[in-house]
Amino acid sequence: MWPLVLQGVASGIVTGCVYALIAISLVIVYKSSDVINFAGGEMVMLGGYLGMFALLGLGLPYLFVFPFAALVIFAIGALFDRIVLTRTLRRAVPGQSVLVAMVIGTVGLSYVIKGAVRVVPYTEEVRRLPPISAGQPIFLGPVVLQHQDVAITLAAIVIMAALWAFFGFTIIGKALRATSQNPRAAALVGIPVRLMSMTAWGLAAALAGVAGVLLAPKLLLTPDSGIVVILALAAAIIGGFTSLPGCVAGGILLGVVQNMIGQFVSSRAISLAPFLVIMLVLLVRPQGLFAGRPTTKKV
Amino acid sequence: MYGSPPLVRLAPLLLLLIAGFVLPHLLRQYFLFLGNILMMYAVLALGLDILLGWAGQFAFAHIAFFGIGTYATALLHARLGVPFVIAMPLAALLAGLIGLLIGFPATRLRTVYLALATFAFAEGAQWVFNAWDKVTGGADGLRISAPTVFGYATGTDPTAFPVMAAILALMIAATMYLTTSRLGRAMCAVRESEHVAAASGIDVRGTKIWAFAISAVYAGVAGGMYTLFQSFVNPEVFGFSQIVLLLSMVVVGGLGSIPGALIGVALLGLLPEIMRTTMRSLLIWQEFAYGVILILVIMFMPRGIWGMIVALRNRKRTHA
Repeated sequence: MWPLVLQGVASGIVTGCVYALIAISLVIVYKSSDVINFAGGEMVMLGGYLGMFALLGLGLPYLFVFPFAALVIFAIGALFDRIVLTRTLRRAVPGQSVLVAMVIGTVGLSYVIKGAVRVVPYTEEVRRLPPISAGQPIFLGPVVLQHQDVAITLAAIVIMAALWAFFGFTIIGKALRATSQNPRAAALVGIPVRLMSMTAWGLAAALAGVAGVLLAPKLLLTPDSGIVVILALAAAIIGGFTSLPGCVAGGILLGVVQNMIGQFVSSRAISLAPFLVIMLVLLVRPQGLFAGRPTTKKV
Repeated sequence: MYGSPPLVRLAPLLLLLIAGFVLPHLLRQYFLFLGNILMMYAVLALGLDILLGWAGQFAFAHIAFFGIGTYATALLHARLGVPFVIAMPLAALLAGLIGLLIGFPATRLRTVYLALATFAFAEGAQWVFNAWDKVTGGADGLRISAPTVFGYATGTDPTAFPVMAAILALMIAATMYLTTSRLGRAMCAVRESEHVAAASGIDVRGTKIWAFAISAVYAGVAGGMYTLFQSFVNPEVFGFSQIVLLLSMVVVGGLGSIPGALIGVALLGLLPEIMRTTMRSLLIWQEFAYGVILILVIMFMPRGIWGMIVALRNRKRTHA
């Protein structure tokens, strides 16, 4: 029993780290434009396919696959913000929720990505990427971890640390935070607000894409793999939907809880877990499990 | 436009009724099937529009109420032998009640949070349809026995068509009365600004909860309509892609207007059929094209197609 629990916790942390990356991507978008990116899952899926194309089609090593996928999806995210969302915001009808239009826009993007991937002959068969790093399984006491699980976790941690440094110490990161807190004041002190919004979207998209490359060797990649975004949504909500460390905690918690449910309740209930988590947290503690007070914006 | 709508505005509904009785004798079965689907979607879209377009609440739970309505009607009819004319209103009522129950906690949430909570509810409901296989038949689905309406047997496309048309006409009329009623105006006020609405003495939460419940009743009615012309249901029918389709119909047509919802339903409902018959080789691009249409509409027609028509008409009038 005890080794099972430990093993479940360890595997939960591995997948949880990747959920956390996707959750961070969703939260960055939400903080910059107050909208849920329903194309987030498709960006993850596209990242997986771009990774596959770079690995198997171009023959690049994994080290170059990540920047390749990140750059392509960064461009997609930034252009979507620049071309579609800017225009939607400018043409917004008073009294009608801009939010609905923007969410429909992201749903449109998700269909465009899914549709485009489906058309590519590459995707006709279900594929799995080669492992990120091959090697002997690693034994930690009673826990066995595959070599690539360790690599995935390390990669996720490196990315999170880089993000922390980016938002905390670089001028662009600080400008992004300022824009999210108060766009008008940010514009007044000379921050190019539109550019920041593009950067946030690009960054979030790139993050989702990298998460896709990380997940691809563990999942079967299909054009419908974007559904994984639901887990990221749940992770982000546990963390309060506005805090990046909250996403990490939420992602890992969700990964562990899923594994526990799978081992001790039933494998069928695993897919229900994220929805229950979303509903419970929103109804009982909408500010997230870790925040002290509600952070809902006042009108 | 306060008070009951003038009778002239109800005239098109009479046409719809007449069409419902005449068309089954004129059209091929395939077109009647399409018509039935569109009429069902029309009721769903009208209901979603009440919540989204009139009350301004962004919720995803609609498809769950549609499922509840479908399963409840089918099961009441098959298991307990309740006739359709009673089973459907009961199912709609049940959907409305659950909508009311969901409305109480959900209306504490706003914008993105409301969208996420109701999204989770819809996915959870679909999971229940799947897992509760003793009642719903689970993933294998449930056979629906053809209902009779006042002794008139339905269950095929031509026989269901007049009944569907009558229900749709009734629901459109109900929407007309609702949107010009006191509650309808209160919904608009809540949509425009909750603070101003509250300051004018409108019970904001109560209005939202009513919008939730009424919208759920529409979905329940649409669920009953499903059993009229389909002989089989499984949880796949109530997936996320369906709510996205409904949302798109309402947004493309134009939020907060009856003609808008109907135009959206007709356009997006027929699009896959038109592509299937005229551009077979392009069928694989359907998903892509659909996404592009959504993006173009929100970019260039923020008020939807009907909003654009109204704007053009007004411009002509001011020029003349």
